[in-house]
Amino acid sequence: MKKRKMERLFHFSWRDFLILVAIMFCATSLCWFMRILDSSGEFATLIYVMAVLLVSRLTNGFLYGLIASILGVIAVNFLFTYPYREFNFTIAGYPLTFLTMLMVSIMTCTLTAQLKQQEKLRLENEREKMRANLLRSVSHDIRTPLTSIVGSTATILENPNLSQKEQRTLLEDARDEAQWLIRVVENLLSITRISGGEQAHITKEPEAAEEILGEAVRKFRKRFPEVTVTVVAPDTLLMVPMDPILIEQVLANLLENAVIHGQNTSRIQVSVCREGGWARFDVRDNGCGIPRGKLNSLFTGVLQESEETSGDKKRNMGLGLAVCTSIVSAHGGTMEADNMPEGGADLIFRLPLDEEEDA
Amino acid sequence: MTIRDKILVVEDEQSIARFISAILNANGYETLMAQTGSEALSIISSTCPDLVILDLGLPDMDGTEILRDLRSWSSLPVVVVSARSHEKDKVEALDMGADDYLTKPFGTDELLARVRAAIRHTRTASGNDEVARQGTYTVGDMVIDYNKHQVLINGENAKLTLSEFRIVALLGKFAGKVLTYDYIIRELWGPRAGNDNQILRVNMANIRRKIEKNPAEPQYIFTEVGVGYRMAEGE
Repeated sequence: MKKRKMERLFHFSWRDFLILVAIMFCATSLCWFMRILDSSGEFATLIYVMAVLLVSRLTNGFLYGLIASILGVIAVNFLFTYPYREFNFTIAGYPLTFLTMLMVSIMTCTLTAQLKQQEKLRLENEREKMRANLLRSVSHDIRTPLTSIVGSTATILENPNLSQKEQRTLLEDARDEAQWLIRVVENLLSITRISGGEQAHITKEPEAAEEILGEAVRKFRKRFPEVTVTVVAPDTLLMVPMDPILIEQVLANLLENAVIHGQNTSRIQVSVCREGGWARFDVRDNGCGIPRGKLNSLFTGVLQESEETSGDKKRNMGLGLAVCTSIVSAHGGTMEADNMPEGGADLIFRLPLDEEEDA
Repeated sequence: MTIRDKILVVEDEQSIARFISAILNANGYETLMAQTGSEALSIISSTCPDLVILDLGLPDMDGTEILRDLRSWSSLPVVVVSARSHEKDKVEALDMGADDYLTKPFGTDELLARVRAAIRHTRTASGNDEVARQGTYTVGDMVIDYNKHQVLINGENAKLTLSEFRIVALLGKFAGKVLTYDYIIRELWGPRAGNDNQILRVNMANIRRKIEKNPAEPQYIFTEVGVGYRMAEGE
């Protein structure tokens, strides 16, 4: 444990090393330049203290701050105090310079570490809050269909003289509600796939975008045969790094939302295209569109809002979109929504095309 | 009296076993039931069913053990039914010799389609009856001509390259059955081809551009996301 801590404090990384070199180089050039204007050399100490502060703030652990203060002291002594290009450790105030730099470095490092710790806590809190909201919305989402399933089946069992037609409607309701529950569970499962822990982590593999689109649409058609869906994919194969199951889930949710929340949706167009370093996916419908006031809060406050205001009327509003957003952002992508000029909503998400994982 | 295909349903959940056997009976199959792995194995060796529907989560042993045991002496078709939904589990079961895989919850039509496909493939050694009899496979407007090494769309040659044809031919031979990426790669490029699916994806994209009206809305070759490809079944 202690060893690991030491390792973290004195961890070597090329990035930090480069920062150190760059900042020290800048400080030295600055001093060099300043000396032309003012030969006393008093500014040198200040400039190096500044450099040490910057290095400590921008690098991880104490190592680079320490190196910077030592280098700073050497540079001030060797280059910028008389006698030049010679070490003279007998100058008065020299130990003070060194001590100042050391203190600056250590204190900055400590503060930086604290800041990072706080940031982590804040993130954790946020995630916890999201989880709680999710749970609340899910329990709500599950209770309604369960009531209907239990109710319809019990009605049939307890009333043997219901007409065949009545029985059939009740059973159909029960089946539809159960199928709807399946989709809730599928959404929950995809959340567990984005394994929790520190960083949302997913396993990306290059997939053919058209295949994922095709599959999502094929399954959607089975459920909503009355809606016309067209699929548009580029002529050249577009390979996008992604977790295919999760992206299929995103598309399924967006398609379903287009029908449920579009109210009178009869046509949907799903498309994918290349947009610079991104793959852009669009789900456009000809439904009623998204109320202007809701456009902005669609991806942020969904979970809190939907339950309180609309109550039972619109279910799954929160869950589906929240799952989409977390999947897309776990991919390093972005999501947005818009209304089209001819009416209807356009849900857009973009996934990065380069495989480079940003840590 | 016609002889009906016998299907063994290995499933410990009573309610699921009941509905599976009800739907199979209603569609002209005879069903046997087993609730544990050992029971299943003894029924298989004593009655030789035509197909096994196997749940992976059994009380006494893991379903994959039964599959392994079974595959060591029999090529009896097995359709795996499981609540494990990760595609890794699917690929594993398929690579261990399962003929198909259904994730719970599944629809009845899906179940029947998989059962039909799995039973048909055992009838003939080559996997597909039509291919064995006439050397062609027809689905919709597409005909795979195994003798001339051609794929015809509306009677016109789709001009597939050799490796493209071999992929289509393989899928056609096992139409209705999902073939994993690894299986296709091994069959086509040999065991040392590695498991780089990139080349397969690119080939598939080219095939679809030649045979499908819209490659993003395939009618003939479906993608089983994360698992493999499946050829549509003919009438």
